[in-house]
Amino acid sequence: MDLAFTPEEQAFREEIRAWVHANLPKEISHKVHNALRLTREDMQGWAKILGKKGWLGFGWPKEFGGPGWTAVQKHLFEEECALAGAPRIVPFGPVMVAPVIMAFGNAEQQKRFLPGIASGEVWWSQGYSEPGSGSDLASVKTRAERVGDKYIVNGQKTWTTLGQHGDWMFNLVRTSTEGKPQTGISFLLVDMKSKGVTVRPIKLLDGECEVNEVFFDNVEVPAENLIGEENKGWTYAKHLLSHERTNIADVNRSKRELERLKRIAKTEGVWDDLRFRDQIALLEVDIVALEMLVLRVLSAEKSGKNSLDIAGLLKIKGSEIQQRYAELMMLAAGPFAMPFIEEAMEAGWQGNFPGGVTANAPLASTYFNLRKTTIYGGSNEVQRNIVAQTVLG
Amino acid sequence: MDFDFSDDQEQLRDAVRKWVDKGYTFERRRAAVAAGGFDRAAWGELAELGLTALTVPEAHDGMGQGAIDAMVVAEELGRGIVLEPIAQAFIASSVLSHYAPAEVQSAWLPRVASGEALVVLAQQERKARYRLDVCEAKAAKAQSGYTVTAIKSVVPAGDKADAFIVPAQLDGKIALFLVERTASGVTTQGYVTQDGSRAAEVHLANAPATLITTDGLAALELAVDTGIAAACAEAVGVMDKTVAITVEYMNQRKQFGVFISSFQALRHRVADMKMQLELARSMSYYASLKLGAPAEERRAAMARAKVQLGQSMRFVGQQAVQLHGGIGVTDEYIVSHYFKKLTQLEVTFGDTLHHLGEVSARMQDTAGVFA
Repeated sequence: MDLAFTPEEQAFREEIRAWVHANLPKEISHKVHNALRLTREDMQGWAKILGKKGWLGFGWPKEFGGPGWTAVQKHLFEEECALAGAPRIVPFGPVMVAPVIMAFGNAEQQKRFLPGIASGEVWWSQGYSEPGSGSDLASVKTRAERVGDKYIVNGQKTWTTLGQHGDWMFNLVRTSTEGKPQTGISFLLVDMKSKGVTVRPIKLLDGECEVNEVFFDNVEVPAENLIGEENKGWTYAKHLLSHERTNIADVNRSKRELERLKRIAKTEGVWDDLRFRDQIALLEVDIVALEMLVLRVLSAEKSGKNSLDIAGLLKIKGSEIQQRYAELMMLAAGPFAMPFIEEAMEAGWQGNFPGGVTANAPLASTYFNLRKTTIYGGSNEVQRNIVAQTVLG
Repeated sequence: MDFDFSDDQEQLRDAVRKWVDKGYTFERRRAAVAAGGFDRAAWGELAELGLTALTVPEAHDGMGQGAIDAMVVAEELGRGIVLEPIAQAFIASSVLSHYAPAEVQSAWLPRVASGEALVVLAQQERKARYRLDVCEAKAAKAQSGYTVTAIKSVVPAGDKADAFIVPAQLDGKIALFLVERTASGVTTQGYVTQDGSRAAEVHLANAPATLITTDGLAALELAVDTGIAAACAEAVGVMDKTVAITVEYMNQRKQFGVFISSFQALRHRVADMKMQLELARSMSYYASLKLGAPAEERRAAMARAKVQLGQSMRFVGQQAVQLHGGIGVTDEYIVSHYFKKLTQLEVTFGDTLHHLGEVSARMQDTAGVFA
């Protein structure tokens, strides 16, 4: 056992750090470090910078043009990006649909879709949840009917994150109502500019439109956009989930935000209030413990020994920590986190924020926004079901 | 970064587990508790397995193994809620080999290694709570050597031990001494503690003492940190078995015509126990991996680890009893004994609130350097 990264891993970290420092635009990292609003251009701008370097698909194997990094290298890359204040990579293209296309798509589909994902040119969205299908995802009703060389798609998807920017969308659609719900689902790629696709942003409790409803009204989709075999989509979706491992803990970002919390506590005068500070100390212990848990998983992946089937624990603890730091940040500012002045959440705002500290402007919005983390990606209650299954059978 | 155990460590684990499963049954433990909470024969068996010698340097007839080996042993003994305090052997070998003069090392370390001498840390004073720098015990220079006058409490196996490691004030600062139990002026009052093991009040009245070091506080901190790492590892073993016992019970107990493991409210509780267990295991690894770090870094790591372990122990222990229902609060059934062990471990070498205070006081800008 050894806590230290190897000299090679350290050198790799230094290389990443230097490159990120030289290439991450300062105006973008300033926004991330201060939780100011990011535009589509900010997010895609960073994606394209990474894409040019060949690192947007940082988890991809070499045969598909990725860097072929180890699990530890991927972790170090994500950590350096997070600590430097890089926007989180929008995962739907490079992290979620690309591995499915690699594993189950045909050569033609790989040639057609992967380059646009790798470069960051094409923005992908996810079409999983529906109004009637949340935790019970296998009950999806959006119907895709095969007519000649086309599918005709009708139905509605929802909670489509950043779908208002989307060029393409990967969907779980129902192609059969025979047998178990899972066996009638197909994995279909849809051009969001197709006739009959309507995207309607949903305003959330923080005032932003981070998610959307997507309606399909007799949308014609070429049959060549079907991934793999008809009615096998559920299997492919599960493969996709197996690609979300340690990154669902998001521990690197939480480490960065813990430091921001300490700065806020000092500015707001609660750093020396031991009752408040002890709460930060508890969070710090939580984050160290989560990091050790993540490192154990990485170590197991590296050596192939003592494999740890604890993705559910990482999701639960990681999301609880994100909610907690946001909560403590808001509580540190107290009443001065309550003014809802949207312009103050934009970079460069020169107005007078009540109380005089503009950095307090986004605290409550972030707190409200992060309530999503225990709901999305399989709610924490669903995760507990999964964990209990591994322990109790 | 590597969390795998070596083949030797896996073999060590297997050997200790085999002894616990075959040689240290619950019936034997129950008899040992009834007989006073310390079984010298069991201590001898631990010595035969090489466990008392594990971290003693090879130059003093030990095996010269490290913190991870000690952790593996403590975990496995925890699994069987073994009463005999193996952590005290780790503490004695660490303090003596790092701080004691050569002749004291030669006189005591081989006997610690062989199991012949049980040397225990006697640091707890009534007014100190968990603060290591609060010490009323007094040492004085004698014609040959020193004498110590002190009252030390809840000393592990205090009336069965052969010698004590005792912090006491000397010339205005804490020094560390070795006092033999059979020396003049030493009286002990032994008793059984809540977890079934043995402890004693130890009174020293001008008892003859051998100086270990005048750098007593630093040595005491190393002693306690060694104890914290061992307590964390022991707790992981106890919790691991506690969860296993609970799972087994839930899969054979029926109510409303079905196994109680089918109820979602209970299943989620088990998921939360698993969470606490794995966070605790991670932080136990962290503690043992940091045991060799510079003192400040080591102290900070132990405090963090004990905060996690303390929370985990209380949750896992309480919920294990709850999920068992009535049988969980009986003396006859095994789970209550695991619960009591966890409860006592939480207040051993500093409870959760004490260590949270330590984390809080040491907290600074630490992004990226936890590991």
